[in-house]
Parts: sequence; structure tokens; C-alpha cells
Amino acid sequence: MAKTYKIIVSGQVQGVGFRPYVYSLAKDFSLTGTVSNNEHGVIIYVTGAPKNAEGFYDNLIKNPPPVSKIISSAIEEVPIQNFNRFQIIPSSKEGQVNLPLTPDFAICDDCKKDIADVKNRRYNYAFTTCVNCGPRWSITKTFPFERAHTSIADFPMCESCNNEYTNPANRRFHSQTNTCPECGISFEFTDNRGNIFKAENIFKTIAKQLSEGKIIAIKNTSGYLLCCNAEDDGVVKKLRTLKNRPNKPFAVLYPSLELLQNEACLNAKAIDVLTSTERPITIISLSNYKGHIALQEVAPGLNQLGVMLPYTGILQLLANQLDVPIVATSGNIHGSPILSHKKDVEVKLKSVADYFLHHNLEITHPQDDSVLKISDKYNFECLFRRSRGYAPNYLNVEVQSNDKILALGADLKNSIAFFPNQHLYVGQYLGNLENFDVYNRFVEEIKAFINIFEQKPEVILVDKHPNYQSTQYGLELSKKWNTKLYFIQHHKAHLAAVLGEYGLFKDDNVLGVVWDGTGYGDDGAIWGGEFFKYNAGEMERLAHFEYFDWISGDKMSKEPRLSLFSLADESFHDLLNSKFSREELNVLTAIKSKNKLKTSSVGRLFDAVSSVLKICDFNSFEGEAAMLLENRIIDYNIGRCVNYCKGFSGKTIPTLLILKGVQSDIKNGLETAQIATNFLFTLASIIYKVAENSGSSKICLSGGVFQNTTLIDMLIELNDNRYKLYFNRNLTPNDENMAFGQMMYYLNCENRTHLQ
Amino acid sequence: MIDYKTINLGHGSGGLMTQNLLDAIIFKAFSNPYLDKKHDGAVVKIEGKIAISTDSFVVSPIFFRGGNIGELAVNGTVNDVAMCGAQPKYLSLAFIIEEGLLVEDFIKIVNSIKDTAETCGVQIITGDTKVVERGKGDQIFINTTGFGAVNPKGNIGAKNIKVGDKIIVNGSIAQHGMAIMSQREGLEFESTIVSDTTNLNFIANDLINEFGHGIHLFRDATRGGLASVLTEIASEIKKGVSIIETDLPLDRQVAAACEILGLDPLYVANEGVFITIVDQYIADEVVKWMQKDSKGKQAVCIGEITEAHPGKVVMTSTIGGKRIVSPMIGEQLPRIC
Ligand SMILES: [Fe+3]
Ligand SMILES: [Mg+2]
Ligand SMILES: [Zn+2]
Ligand SMILES: [Zn+2]
Repeated sequence: MAKTYKIIVSGQVQGVGFRPYVYSLAKDFSLTGTVSNNEHGVIIYVTGAPKNAEGFYDNLIKNPPPVSKIISSAIEEVPIQNFNRFQIIPSSKEGQVNLPLTPDFAICDDCKKDIADVKNRRYNYAFTTCVNCGPRWSITKTFPFERAHTSIADFPMCESCNNEYTNPANRRFHSQTNTCPECGISFEFTDNRGNIFKAENIFKTIAKQLSEGKIIAIKNTSGYLLCCNAEDDGVVKKLRTLKNRPNKPFAVLYPSLELLQNEACLNAKAIDVLTSTERPITIISLSNYKGHIALQEVAPGLNQLGVMLPYTGILQLLANQLDVPIVATSGNIHGSPILSHKKDVEVKLKSVADYFLHHNLEITHPQDDSVLKISDKYNFECLFRRSRGYAPNYLNVEVQSNDKILALGADLKNSIAFFPNQHLYVGQYLGNLENFDVYNRFVEEIKAFINIFEQKPEVILVDKHPNYQSTQYGLELSKKWNTKLYFIQHHKAHLAAVLGEYGLFKDDNVLGVVWDGTGYGDDGAIWGGEFFKYNAGEMERLAHFEYFDWISGDKMSKEPRLSLFSLADESFHDLLNSKFSREELNVLTAIKSKNKLKTSSVGRLFDAVSSVLKICDFNSFEGEAAMLLENRIIDYNIGRCVNYCKGFSGKTIPTLLILKGVQSDIKNGLETAQIATNFLFTLASIIYKVAENSGSSKICLSGGVFQNTTLIDMLIELNDNRYKLYFNRNLTPNDENMAFGQMMYYLNCENRTHLQ
Repeated sequence: MIDYKTINLGHGSGGLMTQNLLDAIIFKAFSNPYLDKKHDGAVVKIEGKIAISTDSFVVSPIFFRGGNIGELAVNGTVNDVAMCGAQPKYLSLAFIIEEGLLVEDFIKIVNSIKDTAETCGVQIITGDTKVVERGKGDQIFINTTGFGAVNPKGNIGAKNIKVGDKIIVNGSIAQHGMAIMSQREGLEFESTIVSDTTNLNFIANDLINEFGHGIHLFRDATRGGLASVLTEIASEIKKGVSIIETDLPLDRQVAAACEILGLDPLYVANEGVFITIVDQYIADEVVKWMQKDSKGKQAVCIGEITEAHPGKVVMTSTIGGKRIVSPMIGEQLPRIC
């Protein structure tokens, strides 16, 4: 006896071949009915034997299309309806407006086979995609994700492509990004004077030039990449100089997983991440590295390397011609946003790249490669940069609010968040807003979100820091649109970001640990070593690192030796004399004696320890000293670690005492790696001490300091199942999570500071 | 006759002691027909449009390298009048003295005011002296108000600024602020930094005489530094201001001092620095002309008015990137996380 069922599936079900998949699955189970999108997700009606319908539902939920993500699903029996076949029925725009946007997906194995197959019509065609792969957010112009709403619309499908698009049995059925060599996107290969070169196989030419030590700017589908031979120290050094990036590590693109595995040890988790549809740059350990990369130039002073595998047809075709790994770094001058327009690149990278590979697909949302690190001991996946592959959708939270909310984040690692209706979006990493080009992109992204959803915000959220560009812009926008504006304290937003990721807002007695470089505190000091107690909607500052002087403005974060100077007592006299000139010391001493600005920053404590250990006195990029410090630790034995803060049990963590512990270990001749380990152990022990005192059973940790995966490992190891630990996982722990945190704070916490 | 070492409350009583102080020090220094009448006010004649500016001076220390509070009080107001496109002629002068100020210091300040006023070509025509209890002031505060006729050959005003106009600065920035700060905080820099306090009324007036309507704006970059002046202009005219970091005139020693302190010289106060915004076609000529004047030897074009980024100041930095120069909001706070 046939019955009819209604099935609703929600989540990332758009632009991922969901409806075609449902179509063929229904046929496999001999069901008739319809599939369409509505505001709740995909809505399916099937009529057939109950057993078949059940099997169909089971299969759909357990094995959905590879790049889809189901958040919720439901099946119910409805009055019988008779269909004569199974059909995909079009959806109205209103019906689709609430479906989440979709991130870019790495090229799938089937498409890889197509472009490697001489007999396939897409042989060597770099823009080969299907419902399971290809760019999405990078080319999105408006909503919902349909060909006409993307820049692919510039390339009308030829007859063959259109046949694929309309054939339900084809992998490219309803594939919005479908193109082929006949109707599709084309390359232009030039030198840095604009002379055009023709080649039989452009990638063969590029591979040859790379092997000859040339730097090439390659337009990928999410922006330009600057590439050079990673084994050639001369060219990598040259790229550093030209890009104005003295020490920050470069990412390396390996042509294949096989080559990478021959050169480095990868565990199963790393392989999973490296081959995932997000395909981020993955930071791996260099212990046991057997390859020939010019490590001193690619990753100076580090025992780790960011690697990735080809994630577009362009990179795959290049990889097919390569037998060495190449540096592949964002096409920009250090500090500026990734470039995506030919005319910009020709000007700004003229003196950097020898050759350019352009193409004529417009990129509407340029994105950097995402970065992820897996901790050595417990395989914790920590996002360092959330961009291509992840942005802009954020599926893991259900928001109930009638407000349309825009959160503007923080200034240094800006990203924005938007809640136009049922779904929350967290945009890609944009960069430091002090850079004018980044600021412009920030303004453009805000505009883009508003245009895509045709919704103006009614509430705008900004950081409390009065001098942030994002705060200033929020003020401007709120006046222009007459919206409410809320200022949310930096570290409270960080904590809300973790609470939000795990849905803990209803909980009581949660300990929040928020450690970073700087944030503007409620008392006007520069916070950065904070403990909060969270009780259902209320956050209270529970403890913090003992204040020390913040001197020399922004320079303090750029020179770790200044953090040492600020913290040091007389016993550091000789060391300071070796790091500063007499004039500098006189001036700094005078300043310190009258200074009023105080900080509790753990980031600066890392700097001071790094300086005492003679690891780093000057940062050439944000967080360098802390990164180098962590990299000194190859392996650690928790049983051998010493806590510099053993007697501590109060509410103020004795910052100087920790530094003195480091100093006395140096005097005792302990090796640097062990001292660095002891320092991290001390920090981990402090967290548990505060947790013991607070009586919390749940600990939420956020802030840039928790990019230290060794510290994370130690925390997990020391925990011994006493507490539940919550780290950011779908977001980075650094300031990129601020916009999301502001949103979560606004929606769930009281005591918002209100203006207007 | 002065037979006391410090100024006390009695000198502000309005009685005989006050008269004595005024006669012995002030009227002696500033003798002129207006003041000599010893009225509470002065009646003067000024032809045409009049520019007026007032300012209170509370600098500490009151004597600093390159000047003192008295010199500052005259130059500051004279320059503010000059920046309106007027030639200052008369000044009012009011002292608020904290009990205990050394008479010797007061005389030095008054004499300095006298000399500076002469240099500027202004007369002090009315004034006031008050004494406050110890702790209620900081040695001495001075208020001056300046008056002068607007030069009819000029047309100074933000409304005249057009896209493409050039921004010219007359000399090295950040000197005054660093001089004051180093002295006040007891900072021992290897070489001494001297305040740039000076009068700009003649160079400004001559610029108008020479270039007329080609000069669109004057603004002196005092408190808040060059950054504050430029951000104010940008938001007022709703056009962009674009400057180039490497073109900013900056003394090596001052730059080094700012570097040690982590201060951005763009935000450090000046007392003898002004910008002029001029028609792009005469910019080169103006720079050359200014370089011949003793108050403009280091004159240089530092940027221009743009269609792009209205309301914002953007600086092309040394390393090639572009940076937004924000208005100073309170103290300089670190941003970096
Ligand atoms: Fe932060
Ligand atoms: Mg004034
Ligand atoms: Zn595919
Ligand atoms: Zn085609």
C-alpha cells in the first residue's frame, strides 16, 4: 500500500547537488514525488512503499551528497498524493532566501579524472567543476546560489554543457558552475610588461619557469597566488624581499599527497584535513622531515610547515607538471588584502612576479587560503585563519531573533558577521583594518552582505575600543541608517564566541579563560589575561594577570624586549643593558615611572619570556615571538615540568613571579626548550588552579594565545577528565572570532552598553 | 620698586599691591597709547573684515627649550589670527598666577611677551591679572585674544578647496611636543630637541599678497599635530586627503625620539608649523617661494585633496602600503591584539 511522506532537510544543501542527488536516489527506491527548496531547506514529497520511503530517507541522511552538511531533518506521513514520476520543481526566490550561502569546495576526484583523461572533452580544462566541487562564495553576486547570480553567468553554456545541466543522470545536472573549453573561461599568460605568451600547455611552461627560479602570479578561483620553487632558497629569499615579508612563514603547495608523505610524517587526521573539501593550509611538524625545501627561507626558525594540496583545477593541472613543492602565498604586498583583479595585480605585483597567469572569471569575494594546525599529542584541530572553504556560512548555531544584526568585529584580524534572517554568516578573514586596502574591502564586504540579502541591519555591534576603525565605521553606519549601536567588550566577546560555538549560554558557573595580546578593558586598561565567571547571561571578571605597564603604544607589541623591560625588576639589569642603548633605557625608565596605562596581557608575557630566553626581541609579524617560543619545544614530558607559580591561589596572577621563574631556570643552566615547556606548564596549571577555586566544571578558552597547540595539549593532558574543556573549533581563537562573539553576546547576554 | 621675591594673593586683590605689580612690570613693558590710558578696555579702529581668535596657555614647564609660556601665548594667538587670512594687530593679555610664582620668572615671561609682540608687530591693548591660591593653578596660565584685519586680496576658507589641490607644510613636524615632553618627563635624549614656536603672520600674509586666491586654506598644526588638522579638514570638506609619509619633513633626532617612545609624529604638537592648501597649478611655485622665507625653509608638498575616500586621510607609508590616519580620540591607545 503506497503512502506519501514529507521530508524536510536543512543545512548546507544549496549549490551542493542536493536536489539532483535526491532525484536519483528516489528513482533507485522506485519513488515518485517532488523535491524543491523552501525557507526551511530542501522539501521532499515521496510516494511509494513505506519500506522504500524509509530506505530512501535513511540513505539520504546517512550518505548525503559529499559536500552537503545536514543540520536537521524530519520525516512525516501526509495524506496520499499521486505523482506520475519524480520531479525537481523550481523554487521561488522567497522560498530560497533563507538557505545558507555556500563556501568554495575543492576539486573532487571525478573532476580530477576528467581533466587528466585525454579522451574527455574537459581534458586539461582548469575550470572543470560539478555539483560536488568548485567555487561558490568566491563568485557569488546575489542570492540564492544560481548561475545567473554568479560571475559564471558571463559564460553562457554551450549545447554540450547545457545537455549535462538538464540531464538528471549526469553529475553536472543543475551544476551552476558548469563550463567547458568551448564555452568557458580562458587564460592569458603574460610577462610583467604585459607581453602575452601563447603555449601548447600553459602549465608545462609555468612549471619550467618555476624550476628556473621565476616568481609567477597565478590567478586561482579565489584570488592571485604568488608561486615559486620552494626548494630554491634564492628565489624564496627574493620573494620575501619583494613581498616585504621578512620572516612570516610561507605556505607550500605539494603536487601530491604521495610526495608529501615521502617527505614528512602525516597522521590520519592530517591526511583527512589535507584532502577535505575545505582543503586548508595545514601546519605539520617538521620532525623527521626528509624533503629538500629551503626551510630556513620558507619557515625561518620554525619546526613546523604549512602545507596544502591542489584544490582547484588550476592548481591540479599545475601540480601534474611539477615534481617539487612550490611556495604558494597570497598575491599581495604584506599587510594588504589578496588581489583578484588583473589591473590591480599588474600595478601592485609588477616588481614582484616575473610572469602572470590571468583568466577572465570575475572573483567577487577574494579569499586567502585557510590555515589549520593539528596539535601533536591529542590531534586537536585549531583553525588559525578561517577563509576559503569555510566562509561565509556558519551552520552550527541556531539563532532566534527578529533583529537584523551586523557585527563589525575587531581591527587586527577583522572579519564581519551578519544575521539577515534565520541564518548567521561569518565572513572570511579580511586582515588589519589600519591598512587602507583592507579597510576598503571591509566596507565592500559589508555592502555585499547587505545587497545579497537585501536587508539593512537594525542593530550594529562594535568593539569598545574607541580608536578601532571598525568602531568608528559602526558609528558612521548607525548614524546613516539610524540603527541601534552596541559596544561590546573585547574579551567578553571572545568568551561569547566559545559559548556560542557550543551552545552553552543557558549554563551556570562556566569558567571563561580569555588570553590574547590586547583588548580595551572595561576599566580603561589593556586586558589580555582574563578569567570570567559565566552564569546564564552574566559575565563577571573573576581574576586576571597582575597589571604591568603598557609603554610605547603600538610599539610594545612589535618589540618583545619592551615587554621584558616593563615587567623587569633590578635583577634583570644586565640583561636589559644588553638589549637597549643607554639612551633608550634612560628614556624608557623615565616613561615607566610616570606611566598610567596598564595591561594584563598574556601575549605580552609571552613576548617577555621570549625576550629573556633570547628567542626574539623584535616581531616582524604579529605573534612571532610566541610562535618561535612554542617551536622550541619538540616534545615534552608533563612529569618533568615545573610550575613557576606553585604557591598562587589568589585572584591576581603574579606576572613577574613567572618571569623570575624563567630567569632562575636560565641561571641554573636549564635548556631553553625545557624552560619554554615549564612556562606553558605554568600557564596551564594556573588555569586549573583558578578552575578549582571557582568550582566550575566547564572551562571555555579563547583569544590568540590559544593558537598555541602545545598549551592546548598540556591542558588536555593535565585535565584528567576533571573538567570539560571548550576551545574554538569552527572559528579561530584569535580576533577573527570577534564578530561572531559580539553577535552571540548581544543575543544572549545582559549588560550591553547602549548608545543612541 | 619690587622688594618681594614671589607673587602672593595680595597681588591679585585689586588694591595697591596689584597696582604696584602692574606699574612695575606690566605697564613698564607694554607702554603704548591704548594701554597707557589704564582703562578697563581699549577702543581701536580696524578697517574691513576682522578676524578674532582667543587661546589659553597652560603649558608645563613654563620655560622650555626654545621658548617659554609667554612667547607661546603671543605666537599661538597671532598664528590663529594669521591662519584666518588676517594680519593680527592687537592683543589682549590675561594672567592667572598661582601664588608663589617667582617675580623673577614673571618678569622674564613679561619681557618675552613684549619681545615677541614686537616681532609679530602686535600691540597689547588690554589685559587682566589674577592671583589664585597655591595648588589652584600651575605657576601661571595666560590667555590672549588677537584681532586683525582680513587681507582683502585673499579668500581663505575650506569651501574653496577643490579636488587636486596640493597640501604644503612649511617645516619639520613634532618638535614642540617632543621638546616639552622630554623636558617635562625628564627624558634624556642624546641631543636636545627645541620647540619650534614662532610667528607665522608675515609669511601667511605675504603668501596671500603673492598668490591671492590661489591660496585656499591655512591651518596651524598645534595640539593633536598634523594628523588632527588633516582629519578635521577631510571631514569638513567631505573630500579625501592623501599624504605621503616619505615626504613629511621630520628632523632625524625628533624621529628617533618618537621612535623610542612609540609615538607617531603625526600626532605630536607643533607651534610653528602650518599647512596651506593651494591650487595645484601654483603648488610648485608656492613651495619655491616659501623656501626663500625664513619661516618656510623646509617647505614641501606632502599630499593632495582627492575624490577618493571622502572624509578620510590616507597616508602612503614608507613600505608602500596605505594607512588610514584616524582622528585622535583621547589618548593614543595600542590597537594591536
Ligand atoms: Fe583578542
Ligand atoms: Mg585658538
Ligand atoms: Zn567535481
Ligand atoms: Zn560548454
